[in-house]
Amino acid sequence: MNLYQPMPMRVERVINETSDLTLKSFELTFENKTDQKAFFEKYNPGQFCQFSVFGKGEAPFGIASAAWEGPFVRFTVQNVGSLTQTIHNLQPGDLVGVRGPLGNGFPLDKLKGRNLVIIGGGCAFSTLYALTKHIMYKEHRKDYGQLTIVYGARNSGLCLYKADIESWYDRSDMVIHQAIDVPEEGWDHHVGYVPDVVKKVAPAPKNTSAIVCGPPIMTKFTLPILSELGFPPKEIYTSLEKRMKCGVGKCGRCNIGSKYVCKDGPVFTLAELNDLPQDI
Amino acid sequence: MANIDALRQEVSRVLSEKIVDVVLGFEAGSLPTRNQPVFIHKAKESKRLVDNGFGSNNLAALLAQRPKDEKIGVICRGCESRAIRALTVEQQLNRENLYLIGVPCRGIIDWRALERAVDGEILAVAEDGEDLLVTLKDDEKKLARAEVLHSACRNCRQPDPVGTDVLIGELPAREGLAQRSPDVAAFLGKDADARYAIFSEEAERCIRCYACREACPMCYCTECFVDHITPRWSESMVSKGGTQAWHIIRAFHQTGRCVSCGACERACPMEIKMEYITDRLNEDMQDMYGFEVGANDSDQPPFAAFSLDDRNRFKE
Amino acid sequence: MSYKTTPVNQFPKLVSQWIKKYDVTAPAEAKNGLEYKTIGDPAEMMLNNRVNTTYAPKAFFLPQSEKLFTVEHGRFQAPELKTKPRLLLGVRPCDTRAFWLLDTVFLAKGEEDAYWQRRRADSLVISFGCDTPCASCFCTSVGGEPFGREGSDIQMTQLEDVYVFEAFTEKGSALINKLPEADAATVKKVKALQKTSAAEMPKAFDNTNLRDHLYALFEDDFWKEVAETCLGCGVCTYLCPTCYCFDIVDEVQRGERVRNWDTCMFRVYSQEASGHNPRPNKAARTRQRVMHKYAYWIDSINEFGCTGCGRCVVNCPVNIDIREIVSAAQARSAKMEAAK
Ligand code: SF4
Ligand code: SF4
Ligand code: SF4
Ligand code: SF4
Ligand code: SF4
Ligand code: FES
Repeated sequence: MNLYQPMPMRVERVINETSDLTLKSFELTFENKTDQKAFFEKYNPGQFCQFSVFGKGEAPFGIASAAWEGPFVRFTVQNVGSLTQTIHNLQPGDLVGVRGPLGNGFPLDKLKGRNLVIIGGGCAFSTLYALTKHIMYKEHRKDYGQLTIVYGARNSGLCLYKADIESWYDRSDMVIHQAIDVPEEGWDHHVGYVPDVVKKVAPAPKNTSAIVCGPPIMTKFTLPILSELGFPPKEIYTSLEKRMKCGVGKCGRCNIGSKYVCKDGPVFTLAELNDLPQDI
Repeated sequence: MANIDALRQEVSRVLSEKIVDVVLGFEAGSLPTRNQPVFIHKAKESKRLVDNGFGSNNLAALLAQRPKDEKIGVICRGCESRAIRALTVEQQLNRENLYLIGVPCRGIIDWRALERAVDGEILAVAEDGEDLLVTLKDDEKKLARAEVLHSACRNCRQPDPVGTDVLIGELPAREGLAQRSPDVAAFLGKDADARYAIFSEEAERCIRCYACREACPMCYCTECFVDHITPRWSESMVSKGGTQAWHIIRAFHQTGRCVSCGACERACPMEIKMEYITDRLNEDMQDMYGFEVGANDSDQPPFAAFSLDDRNRFKE
Repeated sequence: MSYKTTPVNQFPKLVSQWIKKYDVTAPAEAKNGLEYKTIGDPAEMMLNNRVNTTYAPKAFFLPQSEKLFTVEHGRFQAPELKTKPRLLLGVRPCDTRAFWLLDTVFLAKGEEDAYWQRRRADSLVISFGCDTPCASCFCTSVGGEPFGREGSDIQMTQLEDVYVFEAFTEKGSALINKLPEADAATVKKVKALQKTSAAEMPKAFDNTNLRDHLYALFEDDFWKEVAETCLGCGVCTYLCPTCYCFDIVDEVQRGERVRNWDTCMFRVYSQEASGHNPRPNKAARTRQRVMHKYAYWIDSINEFGCTGCGRCVVNCPVNIDIREIVSAAQARSAKMEAAK
């Protein structure tokens, strides 16, 4: 086994997620059956992969699909630089390299039996989408209590997974709150920033865990609100982003104190983060 | 060498009279053959200052990172004063914020050469005129200072500080300062194959720690070409191509800018020779443009200057 | 295990035999003093030196630049790592201790780094017991000893005109089992020497609760003070036998994905694509280096991540001495504690 060896994967489908074309989802399938088997044996929502295009390098992306959706693996990629530009140019049929799943992912066992409030913003919502898809799956739904989703985007054009999320409004086994920053014609959901929406709609903290993933600024303002609402630090989960290279706890780059975000994370409870040196 | 008491007194004065906020000089290091650069913030700390041959660094290299409005005193030898001039010309330093305390220079001792020359654990070194008295565990050795001087200092053409605000001590009479680097002459005296052999042997020992760059007063780019990722401008590895590219481009970027202080070589843990290349490029600048780095407060280095009415057009 | 011996003047003959089977790599004269070199002739090796090599032998297991894959049409092919087995000879115990420390990173169960693993498995390490530590050495302050065994297969000790060997692993004993057994008096002498060497070594600092002291200073201006003259170069970390950070880079022209050493002392190391840098200044970077070695390693495996080899002390271009940082940190934190 070679930790740095990417698996060959093929682009199956490319989805334009947003009106400004900065976000695309890529569904990749495995070239080798053994890779596929190994991947799904390990995969757990909240994990990420190192996505590589030779010559441009590798970068970590959260996995945006649930295992049952497979045999493909979905990544949602925002076009912000040279590697992501190259990824955005990929067409169905193209071959790429992927390493993963990496990291700890969300602690499904600990979340079982509890109510969940899932709070996300921007493209970091991708792993929360995977988590939600996992929970909503008919065989899994009964394992969890009430489910509340708060999802914010700058404007409606930047909302991810639109059709699917629209269909969540019709379901009786979850509550979905979508928010955009400023009012728009035809938008009949929330208007405002995620932390404010959370303040309004969050469920009671009793037997509830909160999971927050979003741009650093959103996370920074949401965490204190959850604490104010009475969520204990060990029931607030968040996923960190750091510059990563190896993704497997070897290259040293992503450490916060003695923890490596790639290996010990990316998901940490607020309690764990409070115990680490503030080197973020 | 400056009278150390006079130097400390001056530092103490400029700090207590608030002429400067801080003074940069050297203090004794943790090993007998090293000094450590030190920022003196309070007048009473000025007693920490030393003035000996173990100040390996070019202190001007430590100025770039200071707060913008800080008034800073710098104890300058010749190369430091020339670097500061060059940096001022390149608009990297504001001369108004600097108070330059010139000291006579006797050249910097190459501590590695000294340790090899005595071959034993050095407990103390004292300077005695032209000699060094070295105390070893169970022996004492005396050797000529000149024997273990760093090559940059042996070849130095302008050891005396220029453009300073005050001079501590007296400048010695200087005789027979070489006008051209003998190391360059020796290098040029060889044929192309031999020159390439020297260059590649030196460059390829490089471990790309960039101490040379960080120790150099004239390497101040916020993003060095080797750190540029998209696109990558040179091979990232410690391969032949990677190390040679680093050495060539680094030197080239120093054309007409290197002040020949040798701080890069003294910082290099692999003891790689580099100054012969930048010195050679500087000689070209002299011959072709009559330009000498740090010679005055106005002339831009020819390869770093840009003028709208340049004689040659970029494109016809 | 038993002690073997060979006269000093017979040793080159033995090494000549080893050279046939192994890449025998030992300290040898270099332009900048002493460096490890794969020798073709025993006369090149220099054992029992007053100083250590500048470049640490970790590079034989984690080369500074290493090809991870060749890439063709987007397919990543790991290179065959077929090497003649290496015999590292005359390694100081601080450096073998570093192998042992790095094994915990690169040979972690189920997460082995194939490249390190392969090179490590293909090698034999003979350490040289240190009876003359230098002024910059401080192994006994960080959990090591001048005759420490960690990370070596065999340790050799010089007693006037004989070398005495002690094997700690099976492959180590296999190498020397044909040598004559050392007599009881010799063994006694070796043991005595080991004891006195450790006892005579002065302590550079008191390491009690060092981790806690450092954590207490995390937000303190202390780091700004100690890093004030740091150049932000790679000397202290590249020469350090226990630093292992690396970067992964695609070299398009070579058609290779490679890894190169990298260091937390470089500004660009932690620079994120967004422009955010979690360690934006030299104070934060110096704190990372020192805390990784003396606090985070303790958190992970309860050992210091510094072996006291002194390379960073000797070679820092501005003489920032990690021993002084540690002592100053102890004093500062104690003072803070007292003020509470
Ligand atoms: S290149 Fe070397 S000799 Fe020239 S100014 Fe820089 S440090 Fe001094
Ligand atoms: S200091 Fe020496 S080893 Fe380091 S990059 Fe410069 S030339 Fe190379
Ligand atoms: S930190 Fe310094 S003394 Fe410690 S192992 Fe590394 S180089 Fe050696
Ligand atoms: S001290 Fe810095 S370079 Fe060394 S291993 Fe730790 S993080 Fe990496
Ligand atoms: S070697 Fe010295 S100057 Fe260079 S990064 Fe380390 S502490 Fe700073
Ligand atoms: S990305 Fe290499 S250690 Fe985390």
